[in-house]
Amino acid sequence: MAHLCLFSLLVLSLVLETQALTPTHHLTTTDVARLQTLLSQPFTDLKSAYYSVVGLSKLGISVADAAETCRFIKSNLDPSSVESLFFAAEASQALPGCEIPVSNDTRDLLLATVSEDSTASQIHQSVSALSSLGLPLASQEVVSALKARISKEDNVLTIILALQTASRLSQQAELGEILEEIEDLAARLDDLGGVYLQFEEGLEATALFVSAAYALSDHVDMEPPLKEDQVIQLVNSIFSKKSWDSLSEAFSVASAAESLSNNRFHVPVIVSAQGPAAISHSQPFLRLQVTNVLCKPLSSASVLVESATATSSKSAILSQAPFTLRDGVFELNFMASQPASGYYQFSVAIAGDSRFVANHVELKVKVSTRVSINNMDLSVVDKDQSIGPKTTRVEYPAKAKASFMADSHQIFAMTFQLVDETTGVELTPHQTFVRLHNQKTGQEVVFVAEPDSKNLYKFELDTTERKTEFDSISGTYALYLMVGDATLENPILWNVADVVLKFLDEEAPSTIQAKTLYTPKPEIQHLFREPEKKPPTVVSNAFTALVLSPFLLLLILWFKLGANISNFTLSPSTVLFHIGHAAMLGLMYVYWTHLNMFQTLKYLAIIGSFTFLAGNRMLAQKAVKRIAAEQSSRLAKYRSLR
Amino acid sequence: MSNSVFSVISRFVEEYRSSTPNKLKMIDAYLLYILLTGVFQFLYCVLVGTFPFNSFLSGFISCVGSFILAVCLRIQINPQNKRDFLTVSPERAFADFLFAHTVLHLVVVNFVG
Repeated sequence: MAHLCLFSLLVLSLVLETQALTPTHHLTTTDVARLQTLLSQPFTDLKSAYYSVVGLSKLGISVADAAETCRFIKSNLDPSSVESLFFAAEASQALPGCEIPVSNDTRDLLLATVSEDSTASQIHQSVSALSSLGLPLASQEVVSALKARISKEDNVLTIILALQTASRLSQQAELGEILEEIEDLAARLDDLGGVYLQFEEGLEATALFVSAAYALSDHVDMEPPLKEDQVIQLVNSIFSKKSWDSLSEAFSVASAAESLSNNRFHVPVIVSAQGPAAISHSQPFLRLQVTNVLCKPLSSASVLVESATATSSKSAILSQAPFTLRDGVFELNFMASQPASGYYQFSVAIAGDSRFVANHVELKVKVSTRVSINNMDLSVVDKDQSIGPKTTRVEYPAKAKASFMADSHQIFAMTFQLVDETTGVELTPHQTFVRLHNQKTGQEVVFVAEPDSKNLYKFELDTTERKTEFDSISGTYALYLMVGDATLENPILWNVADVVLKFLDEEAPSTIQAKTLYTPKPEIQHLFREPEKKPPTVVSNAFTALVLSPFLLLLILWFKLGANISNFTLSPSTVLFHIGHAAMLGLMYVYWTHLNMFQTLKYLAIIGSFTFLAGNRMLAQKAVKRIAAEQSSRLAKYRSLR
Repeated sequence: MSNSVFSVISRFVEEYRSSTPNKLKMIDAYLLYILLTGVFQFLYCVLVGTFPFNSFLSGFISCVGSFILAVCLRIQINPQNKRDFLTVSPERAFADFLFAHTVLHLVVVNFVG
């Protein structure tokens, strides 16, 4: 029984899918045992005694030495402290036959604490103490004090304590408003990835919320406003942590587990396969464990397979088949339905109690089988088909007595069938390899055997075609057949025969050369861009002359037109202008040969401004002369007309 | 048809010889020179090849640019266009011509390589 839950966490993550939300985290028996160990630590003070005793009682375990514990509680009790009274009262309630003596002062102290001025935790402690010690209390006063407290401090822990307190009050009290707080608080939970639902205050707050909400809901007999998916997400959050830092955290987890197992409304169901979910002829039963969050089996449940479909063919094998309960485990003889080997998708429903939450589970089940090889025929066929093939049949696991010879004129062929050992159905496993191993050189070549349409496996080896795989090394090769698949229980490695292969153009037999992968490669020489082909110098010179020739034409034309420099005045501005202009042209040439743009611009600025000033002066003088000439000619014309 | 074309051309030539002032004729000669230079450069490119392309472009653009600037000068100097260029005296036109040429040659020399 101990190892039943052991595999479940691992398998659960592999096996369960989240179509309807199912718990991804839950406590296994080892986790529960660890929780128990933590809570069973020897206690040092009243607080740890309270956590241990009450925590263990929630797990359904009684304390080892009740009398000793009772004595410890009584001796450590401080009647003047409300907290101390609370711890003592609750702990003694969990121990059989332990009574705390109560005095009038104690009662008065506790009753006085119930007021708006005390903190929510004080109110909770006094109410719980009064209730556990069997003392009367005024429920309505408590309710109004709690409501005032909630409106003053609106944090999560206060409201949780209020819920816990309300669950200890009389049912006649007006607990409606406090009941509504459950819904408000549930809205404050953080949804993490659709998987977890928890308070940002942490695990302890979430666990205490769960136990308080269900305690109050049970007390007033009203279903808590938590949806199924939310409950599962809360389960994931609370039970994802498997080792607890403090006693109070362990206590909160234990009380949450207890309330989720025993409340009147929602009981989350944890389903896991016992061992791997694999079935074979030797192991025909599919075993499922159906437990609550405390890893206790739900005997009242009835487990039913709603449908089982093969994942490959999508055909339904089972419908509405019940599991039988045996030794706390639900089992089903799936092999009785004679399924073919492969994977099956099971849809399992757990009924029996309307409180069950997450009671629809999807499982993936593997059906394995044993394979046997039939009709293994080896033959050497001549390429030109002149000589008939000689077929040798070999039975597994024997080896063919004679070795087969194949040279360049022949083809070596192998055919076989793979069938299910029990049913005789033909199988096509994932791995069917033919391995040829040369003992002398250590060389190994692997081929795949393909099935034809009738599921008959064929393998042909043509020595000329496959020369490169073998590096043309002739010799004796041991032939192995390898068959494997996830659904096969007996993978096969069978040395079928020895084959002697003869290749043409055989190189000197040598051991396999180590691959030249890591030796230095030949150096790459960089090839610079070839300069473009230039035309012969004669051609370019000829064209240069041609391009310069129009200048001569220009000079001739100008001469013919009568261009002259008779108007050239030797005034300083003219001379300077011409010098400056010539300098600019010279600068252009120097720019072409030596300078860059920036230098040129610098020089150009200097020469240019000088030339500009001189030119301006010169042109102004010319303009004056021209205007004077025009005016005098106009005057002459005017005079002549008169 | 060819007769009328020939007569138009000969008339045009006669008109040109008689009525165009000398200055403009000189500029026209210059224009012809520039044109021929450009044509010969293009001919080289077509016959021999475009290597080096940047030099060809620079030389060709220089011819084109000089032609355009000379045409501008001719338009501005022509006394018949005086009414269109009241603010621009012939001297000013020539000064502009020189300045534009400086800029053009700066670019051309940069690009010729």
